[in-house]
Amino acid sequence: MIEVVLNDRLGKKVRVKCNEDETIGDLKKLVAAQTGTRAENIRIQKWYNIYKDHITLKDYEIHDGMGLELYYN
Amino acid sequence: MANRTDPLAKNIRGTNPQNLVEKIVRTKIYQHTFWKEQCFGLTAETLVDKAMELDHLGGTFGGNRKPTPFLCLILKMLQIQPEKEIVVEFIKNDDYKYVRILGAFYLRLTGTDVDVYRYLEPLYNDYRKVRQKLSDGRFSLTHVDEVIEELLNKDYSCDIAMPRLKKRWTLEQNGLLEPRKSVLEDDFEEEEEKEENEGIADKSEDEKDHHRKSPERERERDSDRRRDSHRHRDRDYDRDYDMDRDYDRERGRGRERDRERDRDHYRERDRDRERGRDRERDRRDRARRRSRSRSRDRKRNETDDVRDRDEPKKKKEKKMREDGTDHPDPEIAEQNRLRASLGMKPLKM
Repeated sequence: MIEVVLNDRLGKKVRVKCNEDETIGDLKKLVAAQTGTRAENIRIQKWYNIYKDHITLKDYEIHDGMGLELYYN
Repeated sequence: MANRTDPLAKNIRGTNPQNLVEKIVRTKIYQHTFWKEQCFGLTAETLVDKAMELDHLGGTFGGNRKPTPFLCLILKMLQIQPEKEIVVEFIKNDDYKYVRILGAFYLRLTGTDVDVYRYLEPLYNDYRKVRQKLSDGRFSLTHVDEVIEELLNKDYSCDIAMPRLKKRWTLEQNGLLEPRKSVLEDDFEEEEEKEENEGIADKSEDEKDHHRKSPERERERDSDRRRDSHRHRDRDYDRDYDMDRDYDRERGRGRERDRERDRDHYRERDRDRERGRDRERDRRDRARRRSRSRSRDRKRNETDDVRDRDEPKKKKEKKMREDGTDHPDPEIAEQNRLRASLGMKPLKM
């Protein structure tokens, strides 16, 4: 289980616990549950790399405590 | 200039009508070529021509959320705000199904509750196929009546959040609407008679299915349930005088119930026997816990038997539940509960 921090730089900073073998899509669902936006409207990025929904966190090498950028579609 | 709402337009739901579409989606539409080229200077008449050329519906798609022409036309309609008669004409026309859906969508966004039900429900009888563009860019097949059902029941469609719609039941109670009469009503009545003649087969199936059936069956469903309720009630009566159960449920002592539920691991064993209806489960628990002194002999014997059988199992049942919602750490347990509700596996520690 890892904990990821998502920050949208406008006031929303969210810590989400998830498994490493989960996809970005699942992470978006968890974030949506915590922030109240819809999962389809969330975009997770790291600099200009937009993370795709079907790839797992492990494959993106997202580790515990790592910060991701939260954007909206 | 092209993006401003018509100054003569009324406020919808207390705000600029274009605000019904969210800011980000709106910006995407303004920047799209279809909007810039085709939707410039459209009036109600020329909009009809554009609407006739539509061949699919949808919201935004792709990684950068491009809007579909359907969505652009919706925003255009919100901008110019056509008269209600024109919108009704859109809906009534039979030849162009996308024009119909466009009108229906606009009415759902801007019309009053009564109007929405009155004009959209006849469209349930339209079974034509329509093409829908999904958010990943692929097309999928759907039907007009499925689209209407989505409009009436869900609160989000084509990337636009739908305004709140009063429940049909409320409007019927206030006398603003007639109870729904379906075109298939006669067929249903025939089927009901046949069922009655064959004996009451699969009434439980009927009830389980109720969330899928259309609203006009509510009346029939209610009468079925009322007819069968005395049977259920007798069973309750035998088990225990459980007015407390209803009291607890209604007064929302849910947290207490959850805690008790977590403690009662042996209950799991009875899950198979109980058909998984929470109410019955709780009833049994409370019966076991509380009514030992109150219950009649038959009940007492039953409780004792079940308890004896459960005692040796109790030690084994202390192990965790599969979805991890009873983890000792409350934070983890809560996370697992959320995950279970989203359909995900529990956290791996």
